[in-house]
Amino acid sequence: MLHCANTLGDMTVLERMKWQEEEAFCSGFSSVFCSSSSSSSSLHVHDSIMLAAESGSALAEVVAQANVQAHAQAHVSPSISRTFSCPPTLVEPDPKPKPKPKPKPKPTDSSIGIKKRKPDNPKFVAENDSSKDKRIKVGADDGESKITGHPNREEEDTKQNSKVSDYIHVRARRGQATDSHSLAERVRREKISERMKYLQDLVPGCNKITGKAGMLDEIINYVQSLQRQVEFLSMKLAAVNPRLDFSVDDLFHKEVVPACSVNFPNMGVPSDITNYLQFNLPQQQQIASYGGLVTGINPSDMGLRRTISAPVSMPETYLHSSSCFTQTLPSSTWEGDFQNICNFDFDQARSPSFPSQFFSGLVEAGNLKMEM
Amino acid sequence: MSLSERKKAIKLSADLAMASTRNKATRWSRALIANASSDGNSNKVLTEHVLGSSSPSQRVRKSFTTYSHSVRIRSCRNILRRNRVVHRTKDRVVACFAAKKLVQKRTRRLKSLLPGGKSMDDVCLVEETLDYIQSLRAQVEVMRCLVTASELMILNPS
Repeated sequence: MLHCANTLGDMTVLERMKWQEEEAFCSGFSSVFCSSSSSSSSLHVHDSIMLAAESGSALAEVVAQANVQAHAQAHVSPSISRTFSCPPTLVEPDPKPKPKPKPKPKPTDSSIGIKKRKPDNPKFVAENDSSKDKRIKVGADDGESKITGHPNREEEDTKQNSKVSDYIHVRARRGQATDSHSLAERVRREKISERMKYLQDLVPGCNKITGKAGMLDEIINYVQSLQRQVEFLSMKLAAVNPRLDFSVDDLFHKEVVPACSVNFPNMGVPSDITNYLQFNLPQQQQIASYGGLVTGINPSDMGLRRTISAPVSMPETYLHSSSCFTQTLPSSTWEGDFQNICNFDFDQARSPSFPSQFFSGLVEAGNLKMEM
Repeated sequence: MSLSERKKAIKLSADLAMASTRNKATRWSRALIANASSDGNSNKVLTEHVLGSSSPSQRVRKSFTTYSHSVRIRSCRNILRRNRVVHRTKDRVVACFAAKKLVQKRTRRLKSLLPGGKSMDDVCLVEETLDYIQSLRAQVEVMRCLVTASELMILNPS
């Protein structure tokens, strides 16, 4: 589980997009493919997604969900869960089988004859009958033709890439320049243009523009606008929050005090607000236990989770309690997390030195996570 | 706490949250975390607590790799410059030069926009931009939801 979550986090957007294209290409074979080869991996993936859903209130999960949504909008694919998660399992085995089919037919060719080659490939396809193997066959065919027609240097170059599209292009322009530097440069340019294509899909209004400079302009504008949006939104949140504190205080008195099942950490909090808090609600602080905090473990969540178990002030406790309703009321939990982070920050700014109890709390939370 | 301070703190924590979702797999997230933790005193404390303990050895390793990377890029560029001497007509050379300049200028600007973009080569830059745009979108989405939620809370506190 943990490993799966890790791969999920490590996967780049590029890999995902590439995989989605492949998925769209092979969608006809998807059922066979799923049942034959990677059913276990997809199960794992479902697990990791469930885990992310369980972990609930953390901001990371929200971001991940938003990512999935963005992907779903960009490419209309039959199943979101698989498009999101399979790539690490698919991409890895792909290069491995590629060399295998080449040696297999060759001994048969040498022993039986050249005519046997054509029946050989269908047999190989019939063995597994999946889209993945079809792709492998294509790769093998290309590899053979390449070996017969090309010098060694190019072969090495293409081995480095291990991608079908790349070495086809290199091969087409072979007549121009064959020294390794220009070949490498060409491959590099290929790579850049390929990624630029993905970027073109991602940035709105970039489809009609041709030319690298114009595209870069558009990308720069988009990134800048997004960054400015973040600035603006954080400004807005900063302006909204002080009023929010009071309103949430009232809410807390109304709703959370009766609900005694709320779990939240009992920690020394170095701020005026929390002194006031402890004065008001000593019992609530006593009840505290860590059980509610450590339900789902996701390594990417660790940091955020820590902030949740960090100093708690009045509004947080209320909002934390609302994290049980993650599925029904997502907005309130996001708010809770954000509030959490902000308050934490304010506490930090006020007193840089922490009481020992605070650290012990952190350690304890960490231990619990290890046990899970 | 003044408004600007609050805003700075909110932005910092939002950025850190965004970076931590990538789990240090991408360069921009690592650069973002490194920038935040090396920026100011209070920032440092905050980042350490948001992200857990980020080991200093990792940071040293990272800086080392970036250094070697930049050296390699420079040597590659020199080689390319040597190779560029080809027979061409004059106007074509001028046009090519102008186009290249345009692209270079924009690439430099994009590098300045991306966190940690200074030490990236072109391929890496485009990849990281892909990832960064995706994350920024998600961040904007989340923050917008936060703002609407908090506004709703104020409007009807019940």
